[in-house]
Amino acid sequence: MASFRLTNKRRKALVGMAFIAPWIIGFFLFALRPMIYALYLSFQKVKVTPLGIKTDYVGWDNYKYAFDTDPHFVEMLLRYLRDMAMNVPIIVTFSLIIAMLINQKIQFRGTFRTIFFLPVIITSGPVINELLSQGVTTIPNIESYAMFELVKESLTPAVADPIMYLFKQIIMVLWFSGVQILIFLAGLQKVDSSLYEAARIDGASPWEAFWKLTLPMLMPLVVVNFVYTIVYVSTFALNEIIVMISKSMFDTLTGFGYATAIAWIYFVMIAIVLAIWTAVLNSRNS
Amino acid sequence: MSYQGTKINPTKFHPSQMKFYAILVPLAFVMMLPIIFIIFHAFKPINELFAFPPRFLVRRPTFENFEDLIRFAGDSGIPFSRFLFNSLIVTVSVMFLSVFISAIAAYALSKMKFKLRATLFEINTIALMFVPLAVQIPRFLVMDESGLMNTYLAHILPLLSMPIGLFLMKQFIDQVPDELKEAAVMDGAGEFLVFRKVILPVIKPALATVAILAFQAVWGNIETSSYYVNDESLKTVTFFMGTLVSQTGNTVAGQGMAAAASLIMFIPNLVIFIFLQSKVMNTMAHSGLK
Repeated sequence: MASFRLTNKRRKALVGMAFIAPWIIGFFLFALRPMIYALYLSFQKVKVTPLGIKTDYVGWDNYKYAFDTDPHFVEMLLRYLRDMAMNVPIIVTFSLIIAMLINQKIQFRGTFRTIFFLPVIITSGPVINELLSQGVTTIPNIESYAMFELVKESLTPAVADPIMYLFKQIIMVLWFSGVQILIFLAGLQKVDSSLYEAARIDGASPWEAFWKLTLPMLMPLVVVNFVYTIVYVSTFALNEIIVMISKSMFDTLTGFGYATAIAWIYFVMIAIVLAIWTAVLNSRNS
Repeated sequence: MSYQGTKINPTKFHPSQMKFYAILVPLAFVMMLPIIFIIFHAFKPINELFAFPPRFLVRRPTFENFEDLIRFAGDSGIPFSRFLFNSLIVTVSVMFLSVFISAIAAYALSKMKFKLRATLFEINTIALMFVPLAVQIPRFLVMDESGLMNTYLAHILPLLSMPIGLFLMKQFIDQVPDELKEAAVMDGAGEFLVFRKVILPVIKPALATVAILAFQAVWGNIETSSYYVNDESLKTVTFFMGTLVSQTGNTVAGQGMAAAASLIMFIPNLVIFIFLQSKVMNTMAHSGLK
């Protein structure tokens, strides 16, 4: 068969496939296949018995239950959407500011970089667990400080609420921004410094240089960071909805089938949020 | 900017730097708080552990929590070193394999031309969004069918697929200019040589970041020990610590032990972080990415 001759193109494709094969195998076995099986289970009533797992087909019942009967799910989903609309831009903006600050020529720059990369080890595992259970992730009784009372009284609720929200969340925002800062920092270091000199000679202020030079060049990374932040915050193990999924998994009333159903609804939600954000960012890009 | 080697700190202080400090120092302090908290928490005597509102600093530090933990650990039939050995094998294998697999796959997706590569990356991004919890039972079935239960592989294999690792690696490799690869190919290098000699040195920050993330995922993992391994002597330290603490439940001593256990479990995290982060931060300045 002539078509099996090893043309250069074909050889390249083969090498490429060889490089990617270990990943594909692992991915299909331990990620994609279980995901599809979870979709199948979401249409079943699942009972875990000592003899094995029993399933009964129930159609869309699990999904109906989520929207019609479950007292908390819809409310949580709405809260999730609101949080995503507010937190994600805040986290990305904050990481960009920090990345630019620690890209300046200041003393102890290395130390600062290390410190701002710390969240990577804080927000996973036992540490954050302990911190959340101790309630140190929010500033306690923030409303009672005079400065914030002033904010509340002098502004309309529409303006004051987001400000209050921001201050309440500030610690969480800080802790979710480690990798994003790193991504921006790598991008900033790629920008040729002679461009800034040229801009300065042409009379651009640092402010203008940021909007006309830095931001357009970082735009692809802004999109990357939006994706990363949305995914990271959404799949964070102590996220409300995830906690709920894990609870209903072993709840005899709802069971694993229901847990997979809400997991799939949640998954679709995240995908929609992601699609909207990337569409918005890309439309501004072009 | 002139080449400064690995010295990224300017040596002199200048008043113009003041404005940056004004913002950075307070924020840096907030970043440090959790670490300070977790350290002090482990040394708190019982009455301070339950103080409300919780206090950051310890007033009368004590080793009681650690002593309780050691005494309790000694009661179990299997020596502690056995669990530690299991954890070491599993952690080291997962770190190296997952970094290697995602780096080489990311290289292929980013710098080699073949069909399906865009699709594969899309699928990976979609998989990023899926809640890992929901695949617990299906994964269990996969493990059960494959007959890998009660082996080290049961700890290692499920953690190797790290969509976030591939995602980050590809973003970094995308930024490496194609000319760098082309130059090496001109000189007669094959794909693997290009990957090893050209790409890997340049993406060290990404390698280190993914290594840190992989370490966290595997070190803190209790899922594999509780679902895929029934043999007590094959379980990991993290799982063992978890059972120690949960056995004592919500008792008063249990809280102290939990605090001590989380400090012990956190120390490797911190060590790995400090060791790898210098690679993350220093290599970007002269990595050829410019």
